[in-house]
Amino acid sequence: MSAPLLKIEELHVGFRGADGIVEAVRGIDFSVASGEVVGIVGESGSGKSLSMLAVMRLLGATARITGGRVVFDGEDLLAASEARMREIRGRDIAMVFQDPQSSLNPALSIGRQVIDVVRAHRPVSTSEARRLAIQALERVGIGEASRRLEAYPHEFSGGMRQRALIAMAIACRPRLLIADEPTTALDVTVQAQIVDLIAELRRDLGLAVIFISHNLQLVAEIVDRVVVMYGGKVVEDGSAADIEHAARHPYTRLLKACVPSLQGPLGPLAAIEGAPPRLGRMPPGCPFAPRCPQAVGVCGREMPALVTDAARRIACWRPQ
Amino acid sequence: MSGPILALRGVTKAYAQGSLLDRLVGGASRFVALDDVTLEIARGDVIGIVGESGSGKSTLASLAVGLTRPTAGEILLDGEPLAALMRDHAGSWRRRIQMVFQDSSSALNPRKTIARCLAQTLALRGVPRATQEDDTIALLALVGLGAETAPRLPHELSGGQRQRVGLARALAMKPDILIADEPVSSLDVSLQAQVINLLSRLTRELGLTLLFISHDLAVVRTLCSRIIVMRKGRIVEEGPCLDVLARPTHPYTQLLISSVPKGIVGRRAPAAVASATSSVG
Repeated sequence: MSAPLLKIEELHVGFRGADGIVEAVRGIDFSVASGEVVGIVGESGSGKSLSMLAVMRLLGATARITGGRVVFDGEDLLAASEARMREIRGRDIAMVFQDPQSSLNPALSIGRQVIDVVRAHRPVSTSEARRLAIQALERVGIGEASRRLEAYPHEFSGGMRQRALIAMAIACRPRLLIADEPTTALDVTVQAQIVDLIAELRRDLGLAVIFISHNLQLVAEIVDRVVVMYGGKVVEDGSAADIEHAARHPYTRLLKACVPSLQGPLGPLAAIEGAPPRLGRMPPGCPFAPRCPQAVGVCGREMPALVTDAARRIACWRPQ
Repeated sequence: MSGPILALRGVTKAYAQGSLLDRLVGGASRFVALDDVTLEIARGDVIGIVGESGSGKSTLASLAVGLTRPTAGEILLDGEPLAALMRDHAGSWRRRIQMVFQDSSSALNPRKTIARCLAQTLALRGVPRATQEDDTIALLALVGLGAETAPRLPHELSGGQRQRVGLARALAMKPDILIADEPVSSLDVSLQAQVINLLSRLTRELGLTLLFISHDLAVVRTLCSRIIVMRKGRIVEEGPCLDVLARPTHPYTQLLISSVPKGIVGRRAPAAVASATSSVG
């Protein structure tokens, strides 16, 4: 197998607090192959968004990377200069966020914002940048793009804004797209369209995609592989089919069972008692142990290692 | 009384759009948030109102609790016009219809303990001070929270626990009808399941009439016996929940159902969605 496009090793991210560093991402490992679509699934506080912001080196002033390595296409991103990161962001790795409203500058036209991205990364003339911007907007399904260049974000619907952001993301033909809950703020019918668009771009452009979501069902529609995170750790990592039909970590299994579906029997949903662990109050062992119906003594004391078993990895003392 | 506990008759809510100048010269347009909606809710009904943004579902909720007034039409609470109740009874009718909001952190006063918040609500209903503490503990137990929650502040609780407190506060008024506007959509899935199960148990045990507003068809299927599908201020389809979801007749309902993520089996050709969208537009 060739080297992965992105390789994350033992990544730790913490917040500076009054009592020192509080770790929110506590040593995660996974890689993404060229052209692969990987879903990261987890609840709030699982560290899924924070770890990807760390990959992009976009952490705010209070958070910092406290350990590990992030290797993209052979280059250690954590050792790269800020100038080098600015080259990589948007050109090699692009990111799309949850709220398309706040990701766009309300005072600039859509066209100007897409053209700016193109010109930041490619030595092209204004008219060529304009042509590329139109091409990117048309590629994401924004019709009459040459006329729409003049439109401002408020003139677009939520779904159209998210399409415009995806156009900005793909305008420079990146090799990796990180989409952080890109459909959570959208209506369900629009959500389905955006998911289809990302699947289509992946197929046509050979993009690798990291799709962050809290929704396992949604992720399963487009990803090859699912990484499940809980309490700042990777707890299970397997193919979409394995996670859907034969998940082995009790958390993954419960996460699936507690989501209501349009098929199947009615009756009470499987509930996970309690709440996800809070930052700075991580249990010493497996972070899921306090809520896990399968937990035994060792679970509360010691974090299980992430063990490879055939095509999947799992961190659990009592996998099912 | 055996009539509907809540009825809407030809209710329309419109807002003026455009600048002040437009309005003065008569050039303003109207945005119709709710368009001639007629609806009856029987005592004990658990109704899901489904729609996307702009469907009018939240407008319907705020009209029903009297937060806004209709432009046209009439709302009847247990047979009495809401407009007259709002004039005559100085708010005593408000006890009978309570609301739970989407964002539990902004719906609770961050500086009041849970005990104080609930005790003040009980006082509004005239519960004497001597029994307020016991009633508070009983309310917390009803929504699955222990007495240790009482002295806490909202920020010390998880989102799921806060939403339970919001529910306890609404139930403190012993309402005839409870309106919940997207009460689980800002919760993590594991907490969402807890609150759905709780609402389901409460509607059964208390015989509560519930108007559950949601964009999530699967949640509505789990909880509700009747479903109302809204689009652009109008009801496009209604009926028994399982029937409508199994055999939707309106193309918009069909589109909503096909848009629900279904996991691996839900992988579909992009063209299918594109054509479904254009057939509705």
